[in-house]
Amino acid sequence: MLRPSLRYRQAMAAPHSFTGEDCVEFHIHGGSAVITAVLQALGSVPGMRPADAGEFTRRAFQAGKLGLTEVEGLGDLIHAETEAQRRQALRQMSGELGRLYQDWSHRLKRCLAHVEAFIDFSEDELIEDGVLNQVDRSVCDLQAEMERHLKDERRGERLRSGVQVVIAGATNAGKSSLLNTLCQRPAAIVSPIAGTTRDVVETALDIGGFPILLSDTAGLRDSPDLVEREGVRRARERVEQADLTLVVVDCAHLPSDAQQAAAFLQGHLTSVLPAQEQPDTVYPTDRFLLVLNKTDLLPEEQRQKLDRELRCVSGLPPVCLISCHTNDGLQDFLTALHSSVKTLCGDPLSGAPTLTQARHRAHLQQCFAALAQYQRYRDMDMALAAEGVRLALTSLGRITGRVGAEEILDIIFKDFCIGK
Amino acid sequence: MLTKKLPPLQSFLVQVSRRASHVARQQYDVIVVGGGHAGTEAAAAAARVGAQTLLVSQKVHTIGALSCNPSLGGVGKGQLVKEIDALDGVCGRAGDWAGIHFSILNRRKGPAVWGPRAQLDRQRYREFIQSELLSTPRLTVLEGSVEELLVTEPNPEEPGQHRVTGIRLANESHPITASSVILTTGTFLSGSLFMGQTTSPGGRIGDAPSSAGLSHTLRERLGLRTGRLRTGTPPRIVKDSVDLSLAQLHPPDSHSTPFSFLNTHTRCKPEEQLPCYLTYTTPGVERVVKESLHLNCHIQQDTKGPRYCPSIESRVLRFPGRRHRVWLEPEGLTSDLLYPQGLSMTMPPDVQLRLIREIPAMHRAEIHTPGYGVQYDFVCPTQLSPALQVKSTQGLFLAGQINGTTGYEEAAAQGLWAGVNAARWALSMPAVALSRTESYIGVLIDDLVSRGVTEPYRMFTSRAEFRTSLRPDNADLRLTLKGFEEAGCVSPFRYQEAVRVRDSLQDALAALQSLALSAIMWRKKIPNVPISENKSTLLTGMDILQYNDVSFEILASAFPECLSPYMEFSQRLKIEGHTLTNRGKEIERIQREESMSLPQDIDYFSLPVSLSQEVREILDRVRPSTLGAATRLQGITPAAIVHLLNYVRHTGQKERRAHRYRSDQREDEELRARNTSLPQ
Repeated sequence: MLRPSLRYRQAMAAPHSFTGEDCVEFHIHGGSAVITAVLQALGSVPGMRPADAGEFTRRAFQAGKLGLTEVEGLGDLIHAETEAQRRQALRQMSGELGRLYQDWSHRLKRCLAHVEAFIDFSEDELIEDGVLNQVDRSVCDLQAEMERHLKDERRGERLRSGVQVVIAGATNAGKSSLLNTLCQRPAAIVSPIAGTTRDVVETALDIGGFPILLSDTAGLRDSPDLVEREGVRRARERVEQADLTLVVVDCAHLPSDAQQAAAFLQGHLTSVLPAQEQPDTVYPTDRFLLVLNKTDLLPEEQRQKLDRELRCVSGLPPVCLISCHTNDGLQDFLTALHSSVKTLCGDPLSGAPTLTQARHRAHLQQCFAALAQYQRYRDMDMALAAEGVRLALTSLGRITGRVGAEEILDIIFKDFCIGK
Repeated sequence: MLTKKLPPLQSFLVQVSRRASHVARQQYDVIVVGGGHAGTEAAAAAARVGAQTLLVSQKVHTIGALSCNPSLGGVGKGQLVKEIDALDGVCGRAGDWAGIHFSILNRRKGPAVWGPRAQLDRQRYREFIQSELLSTPRLTVLEGSVEELLVTEPNPEEPGQHRVTGIRLANESHPITASSVILTTGTFLSGSLFMGQTTSPGGRIGDAPSSAGLSHTLRERLGLRTGRLRTGTPPRIVKDSVDLSLAQLHPPDSHSTPFSFLNTHTRCKPEEQLPCYLTYTTPGVERVVKESLHLNCHIQQDTKGPRYCPSIESRVLRFPGRRHRVWLEPEGLTSDLLYPQGLSMTMPPDVQLRLIREIPAMHRAEIHTPGYGVQYDFVCPTQLSPALQVKSTQGLFLAGQINGTTGYEEAAAQGLWAGVNAARWALSMPAVALSRTESYIGVLIDDLVSRGVTEPYRMFTSRAEFRTSLRPDNADLRLTLKGFEEAGCVSPFRYQEAVRVRDSLQDALAALQSLALSAIMWRKKIPNVPISENKSTLLTGMDILQYNDVSFEILASAFPECLSPYMEFSQRLKIEGHTLTNRGKEIERIQREESMSLPQDIDYFSLPVSLSQEVREILDRVRPSTLGAATRLQGITPAAIVHLLNYVRHTGQKERRAHRYRSDQREDEELRARNTSLPQ
């Protein structure tokens, strides 16, 4: 999953790295989709977490790797970066997302306060018996809500940095024409010569209010040409990272029988899609659109028959018949594209707020995992169980702000009548 | 230790007065003012470090008196007692000598939060403390009232605007000089007593108020910011007048666990110990409180009282319509009084009697001494360094309630640490600090000096970020070695014992780790243990010790040749194994950060780095002692933390660098010049 998107990795053994510790650097493409994918893959490794602001510098200093002036410069850099993050976070925090996190943080604080009260006071004082049961329920609810929130399939992030839409297909299917048609300008060179597009051509578009990043790629074929082979490799890489792939097919190549055409398209999809996947896996159809181009070259009767019959074939992604030459079918295609993009982004005006930053996601994942620690130790060791809730609150606190012991004690004294 | 015979109290007084006759002209390294929990630990610790020490108390026979509750320890507080003992302090051994009801609280909530606690016999406790002080070399006790604190110009080579040189006693013309003075005046600093509508000056009923001169010097001469707090104590009840059959009986633990690492048993055997009794307030109690509010000065004042040790008045006013717990605790083996914990009150004595008689078990009870309230001054502790020295005044140390804390254990902990540092100051040794990561004492001092107090400060386990590692059972491993090697307050005898314990535990853990068998083999060796046979990896003795039903004894009987030498540590090993296996990585990360300390003498305003004025002000005001403490401050940005890195000292380097600061400033400046000219 990670490998194809890597430009290179560099491993550095202690003590010759920046921080003086064993260290791996990943050098990757600058696209935000790539960065997010890599961060996500790394975040799923147990024990892996994003560094805190300034942490590398701190570690480097600890190892005696930095002097005064170097730290100065880095400090300023971190300042600029965290300022930007802070402003961005503030914008988000005032919205619905902020309210959601604040609500979780508030409920977690109460859970922690009640666990702490149970530890520090229940031997001497009247702490109602139900206190821990209440915490159990809250922790369960919070876990369920966080899980749902984390399963939003990165919709908020897409909304922020654009949906990655990739045009892919065989050579000369009309991919570059489709790009030019969509962006209404000749962004890519178009010619009847197969293999004209050799590198990835990117352009940003707005489809019905949703930002998308459209990439045209080289036609997929085996070529002896080294440059074209590299283009094909990049094309495949893009398809792998895409949120949505538009598979363009020259409909002149389709068999006239609908059943056979469906089988042809299925086979074609397999050849376009990421190589390492099993051929018998069912592709998530909402991640693909089949664009049958050059309908102007078909007799009208055959075009209608294809359109009618392919719609009834199950297991195929949505099919659009268009002609980039005459713009025939373009409106239907745009409607289909819009609805796919909308599903991918989620409607910002309805439903639960979605995650907008990979960093938030990592902290929430930590928070979620820490709550499991509470449940694991609940009946064995309250101090370790409380540690789970503390960690959960610290992780969430990295998004909403720190929580100190005094704040917890305030809640304890508000909720319980505590004597000596 | 428990086998030693206490000298009779009479000889203590004789010796004290004999010393007092020639004391006035003498010079000391350290003078401790006050003989409560803070003062006694401070004096004993200073003397252990090697300082010639004088303890001055208004009444020598009240040294070691328990002014309020007759108990020691509890959840959080018990951890402090264990740590004080690990640093060779007095109160843990005194508790083992004087305890008449031992129990471990929180028994079912995990070993990190167990709360060792004991009810004490007041007389035995006082006897032990006095005898201990008497037998401490280099320590002299003197009866007297301090009239004045002597202050002069500072030593220009050290930070600070003033320097103490000693004290002057009332009715004495000659001053007593010392390099360090520790004030542990408790509630006596501008103290007032409250009962009903009457108030009188004083810090404890039956004792003379302290001199106004001391308060004046602190505020006017040294310019220290002070605040005012209040506390209170319940009436003492005549035991025979209480119908104990109407209260719930709470016996002590069947096996008494001593506080001290040096003791294997307590003086009072479990079968000789006394029970406590639990009863509850009634709606009648609430009614009496409400009806008598206009007769109750103390409660009408808005001075801050402790939220967690509130008077019965504040309890029923804040949480009306509930029943509240009242514990009836024995005051001593032969005492005919009971201490009603939870009934601290300040109304007129006749109303106090009406109130307690609303509780069924006390419907015919008699009051021996009525309860009363105290209001007193404290010095805002953010003006202290982590060594508990007043930052502006060289050689002046404060400990106990004067710093805004409440509780015997909190006072004793500060006293011990102030005593260590006062002695080190007097003997020209660098200050030592305890971090939050290694001790509750570190948490206590860091909270006080970096955050200050708004109400009487009491220790809770929830204040400790590293609670799972700061366990009562491992206080010796955390502190005794450091106390000997770095602080110098631990005797060689205790040190050698701690080294033996540490080495044995390490060997035992290694032995457990090296016992690696398949699940099937384990089941053969130890029947009746629910090990799943499906586990394919080898399991170590450490893994097996995790099972609830497996004790170290069971393992040792299966592998006597390699484990039986460690039988005396069976319980500690079970706990250690449990914690080692379940401890999180996150904690280790924070602990590393906490170990990076910031020098106390940084001039934040002239630091040649880009810090905002706001950040500089916060840092200058709070003077965090570690990088970790700085990150917890409101308004400190990650960028500021990075800038501060240059000024961090690693704990290991601290002493060396501190020494260099003093001895060779020029070299230090050269180093700084070299740093600034580093290549870009």
